[in-house]
Amino acid sequence: MKDKLPLILMIVAGFFGLTDRFLPHPVAEGFNQYLRDTLLRIISAFALILGLGNLILRHVNKIQHKGDGWRHSYTLLISFFAASVIGLFGGVSGELWFPTRIGNFQFDITTIYFQMLIPLGATMFSMLAFYMASAAYRSFRARSWLAVLLLGAAFVVMLGQVPLGHQIWSGIPEVSQWIMEVPNTAAKRGIELGITLGILATFLKILTGIERSWMGGGK
Amino acid sequence: MKWERLIHIDRRVIFLMMALAIIIPLLFPIHMPMGVQRVTQDLFDKIDSIDGEEQCLMISTDYTPQTEPENQPMTMALLRHGFARGVPVLLNALYVEGAPLLAQAIDSVMVEFNRHATSHADSIIYGRDVVFLGWQPPPIVPILGMGEGIGNIYPEDYYGNRTDSLEVMQWIEDYDEVGIVVAITGLAAPLWYVQFAQTKYGVAVGAGCTAVCAPDFYPYCGSGQLSGMMAGMKGAAEYEELVHKTYNTRGRRKATEGMAAQSAAHILIMVLVIIGNIAYFATRRQS
Repeated sequence: MKDKLPLILMIVAGFFGLTDRFLPHPVAEGFNQYLRDTLLRIISAFALILGLGNLILRHVNKIQHKGDGWRHSYTLLISFFAASVIGLFGGVSGELWFPTRIGNFQFDITTIYFQMLIPLGATMFSMLAFYMASAAYRSFRARSWLAVLLLGAAFVVMLGQVPLGHQIWSGIPEVSQWIMEVPNTAAKRGIELGITLGILATFLKILTGIERSWMGGGK
Repeated sequence: MKWERLIHIDRRVIFLMMALAIIIPLLFPIHMPMGVQRVTQDLFDKIDSIDGEEQCLMISTDYTPQTEPENQPMTMALLRHGFARGVPVLLNALYVEGAPLLAQAIDSVMVEFNRHATSHADSIIYGRDVVFLGWQPPPIVPILGMGEGIGNIYPEDYYGNRTDSLEVMQWIEDYDEVGIVVAITGLAAPLWYVQFAQTKYGVAVGAGCTAVCAPDFYPYCGSGQLSGMMAGMKGAAEYEELVHKTYNTRGRRKATEGMAAQSAAHILIMVLVIIGNIAYFATRRQS
């Protein structure tokens, strides 16, 4: 029963998810809508709890066993609990009973979001530019004709993505657009068709119960 | 030996050069005229053809603070376009992290328009001209559910108002009253709208994406499944300029301001790659 119940649930849900696309019958559509709008939300809530629980356990474990970078786990746990307490008991803008202001210093969730999360997030993402520049300098070598071709295409697309390219020669953005629309599209379509066929095959194997590794145990 | 040293240059020197290449143009901005890519023009034309009496513009986002500098100007340019044309704008966030950014964009563009409004009709009024539906998880639920009823999925808006009490929601029921959904993304939201909402309900879909995501979406522009796209900050800058030139809108055009810095950064990377290659071949010849 431990194996069969999840399998039956998955087959029923998968079957209705599939029929909704091919069978526009009110019963199939209604059931599918119920699965999506009600059950999926409940499962998502459980998944969130499971995810957070897993995150906490993982980092607590790391601290206990002094794993790689265990000190950073303290940052995560302290930030997590501080934000949770402030958000749950202080409200989004400090409207609940938990104090979120000391004098002029505000630390409600909205302030944390705009004053910390946005700058930190933008900083993390913008650091890519620095690493990319360093990596490109060290490893982007024209060792073969294919590499020269790749380098040439990269230069044209990079120039096409900035106004300077248009000023150097008005045809650069058009050549860049052509690279994106023709060779890039051809390659992407090939890759996506392959991925889709793989997804379809995996889906059918799961739906028919052949593939059961998702239940754990590697069966 | 000289070339060898050049190859193994300290990476902090490269970081410093990159920082200067970005900071100097931001501190001393210069306006750089630019062309408009076809995909950006297509998106602009599609939104420009919406009849505001019968359909609205929907902006759906899945971006988070990480991609805010690239994605937020797109949202603001679309809001300006909708407001300038008198097309009602509906917004929703597919992930919770992006919701406050949308609220900020709406506030900012509303202030921009209302500062110069001379009458009630000219003003941008929440509930009549714009509605922020908020966030409903997981993304598949609103994407498919809005085809059966926007009010069912969003009984309350972001600010806690009943959506059925808002003026514009009296006639906007589902995707039939949506001229186009423009999904602004750092991930794959336009594809979800194409795969689920467009195939089932036939709604037109456009995209606004970070430059790294753009190659994924070009095949969908070619097939017509995406009506148009803003690709990266350059796409956002092109759209800002199109809206500004056509409707003489006010307000900061942040993507356009960032173009000089982006140009400098791209040129620097290209120069570094060329120097790196020269040094590499010179050392190889010596050895």
